[in-house]
Amino acid sequence: MTAAATLAAQAPVVARRRRPGLAGWSYLLPLLLVVGVWIYLPVLATVVLSLLDWNLTSPTAEFVGLDNLRRLLSEPEFAQAAGQTLLYAVALLPFSTAVPLLLAVLLWARPGRASTIYRSLLFVPAMVAPVAVAVAWRFLLNPLNGLVNEVTGRVGLPAVNWLGDPAWALPVIVVVTAARVVAFNMLLFSAALSGLDRRAVEAARLEGATGFEVVWFVVLPQLRSTTVLLGLLSVVLAGQWSFTNVSVLTQGGPDGVTDNVYHRIHTLGFGYFETGMASTASVLVLVFFALAALAAEAVRRRRGRS
Amino acid sequence: MRSVSTRALVPLLAGALLLSAAACSASAPAADPGSVTITFSSYNYGTQGSAGTGTQALLDRFAELHPEITVEPQSVPVADVLTSARAATAAGEPPDVVQLGYSKLAEGLETLPVQPLDELAGDGWDAHVSGIVPGPVATGTRDGSTYALPYTISIPTVLYNADLFEQAGLDPDQPPATIEEVRTAATAIVGTGAEGVYFAMADPGKSDYLTQSVMNSAGGGVLDAGGTITLDSPASVEGIRQIQSLTTDGLQPAVAVDDAMAAFTTGDLGMLVISTAVLGTVQDAAEGNFELRTTAFPGFGSAPAAPTHSGAALVSLSEDEARQRAAWELISFLTSEEGYQLIATEIGYLPLRQSVVEGELAGWLEENPLLVPTIEQLDQMQAYQSFPGPRSNQATQLLQDEAVEPVVLRGADPQSSLTSTANRIRELVGAP
Repeated sequence: MTAAATLAAQAPVVARRRRPGLAGWSYLLPLLLVVGVWIYLPVLATVVLSLLDWNLTSPTAEFVGLDNLRRLLSEPEFAQAAGQTLLYAVALLPFSTAVPLLLAVLLWARPGRASTIYRSLLFVPAMVAPVAVAVAWRFLLNPLNGLVNEVTGRVGLPAVNWLGDPAWALPVIVVVTAARVVAFNMLLFSAALSGLDRRAVEAARLEGATGFEVVWFVVLPQLRSTTVLLGLLSVVLAGQWSFTNVSVLTQGGPDGVTDNVYHRIHTLGFGYFETGMASTASVLVLVFFALAALAAEAVRRRRGRS
Repeated sequence: MRSVSTRALVPLLAGALLLSAAACSASAPAADPGSVTITFSSYNYGTQGSAGTGTQALLDRFAELHPEITVEPQSVPVADVLTSARAATAAGEPPDVVQLGYSKLAEGLETLPVQPLDELAGDGWDAHVSGIVPGPVATGTRDGSTYALPYTISIPTVLYNADLFEQAGLDPDQPPATIEEVRTAATAIVGTGAEGVYFAMADPGKSDYLTQSVMNSAGGGVLDAGGTITLDSPASVEGIRQIQSLTTDGLQPAVAVDDAMAAFTTGDLGMLVISTAVLGTVQDAAEGNFELRTTAFPGFGSAPAAPTHSGAALVSLSEDEARQRAAWELISFLTSEEGYQLIATEIGYLPLRQSVVEGELAGWLEENPLLVPTIEQLDQMQAYQSFPGPRSNQATQLLQDEAVEPVVLRGADPQSSLTSTANRIRELVGAP
């Protein structure tokens, strides 16, 4: 067969790829419908609502343009909540990467029945209902007769109002949230470790590498993509992960120091029925993360080229 | 600005909202042609303790009296009761009867499809309403029609641990009657190693009934008779300052209400100033541990106490005629003599008909005297004051979060905190 004949034979295939036709679209339709109805339609609705003054039940809504944005940016509570969302992201980052990675590697390095039992015990916090966990913490942290102050008091430390003192409340919410994040991410790291290239590990050991050297030079490089992914997820989702604990334990207080943008959006939308302001805040969050994603992609491409 | 009908947003908003509503709604048709099913949104229903069991007892009795009406109760957190009703209304499924807290009632009357109860009741209205304590009925009246009837009402009371009083050298038969005497008693109790007193002003339900009680008793108030915001007046500030001084002087723990409740029930707190709504729960916890007693809300200075009532009213959001009739049957039972009697004996709220107090409840009160001080103080009860307009609930939350909690619990300056909060509220609700 000549080259020309080969090309001629391939031509119809190329043409079919360019025009998928009805069958192709019918395969895509269910997914497009789900994504459109449950993601893009609500996003579009949120953008429209951000331009209106509407209290959710009124039969009419007033078009106010960017007035919601002006009101939101002039509200000190929103600026405070936005800043604290970044604090949550930074504070939870080690708990979503370094700590679960360390636990997973320790358990991986000592396989056996005890390791399985420890892994199961460490995963328990991720399985209990978040609200139940938060309520349990409320009892433990009671400043007058809670178990935490009881224990710290035994070693001579002063009683602390863990959730009522502005200096302590945010760190406490981070720690309470971290317990769940560590448990869940430890399991993900364990899954990644189970797919590790054992040949490289054995080779390193045969070469006389110490345990630390095996982990540092062989294991961790293979977990790089998992670690980066979990780190990125942590930055994006830290505010959402802490939402339940903020809502149950502090409602954003004391003095707003534990608030974050997601809890603020909920307060504006369903506490005050400022639907337009809540939608505007949601759009701002969306735009912020879209820009952050674009920046990350640009950095990735530049590194790829270099 | 241009007003647009929300109908014009179809299919955009309708698509998003109706899909959610379709997924969530579960309205079943009545089983029999003559029967009707209504929903009852209640923050007491389903809760632990006497509030939950008492509400169930009320519904059980109603079911006996009206087998043709099926009530589907919906348990809603107290802070979310307005949120839930508005979200359900937006989804096209408003609850037929709602237990709506007084701190949220004004906004609810402005923003929910409330039905005029006097029209639903028809000829029986006057006979039903006569005998109910008039103040809370007036709070639910707008432009000549009554949209809300008082259901679970209480006024703040002082719960105290008689055992701790004796340990502190105090006479439990002579409880404090003024804020100065409260301070003296708290000082003595703190001397025993226990906590002295706790005013539950940082209410987790974001109600300001205790804030209003303190301000009113000190000669101020959140609003004056003309609707001017006065929460930063000298008298109002002084009232809050006196509560703050209990904290700064170590007589009041700077903790959340739930934490103080836990401390009181374990016998670690001498006095708890709070709504009688928690009486049943506290009574159960105290049994066998310490002797629980109550006394009336204290006066400030030489003026008599002027406590503001807390609690909730009942409103109907039914739009269907048959469900409106059924909703009124439920509301009229819950606010009848039998209803108020069950509410008082099973839950611990106040009986709002004098005929109940003097009639069937008289013997019960002799055996259960904890409610007596508050019933005796009913004459001094002040109507709950709401900020004007559709953002009244937001204004109340601002007052509690921006001023009351930081001042009372964390030592913020009373004058500057209340002044800046008052200015924000004036701007928010558009009142002087």
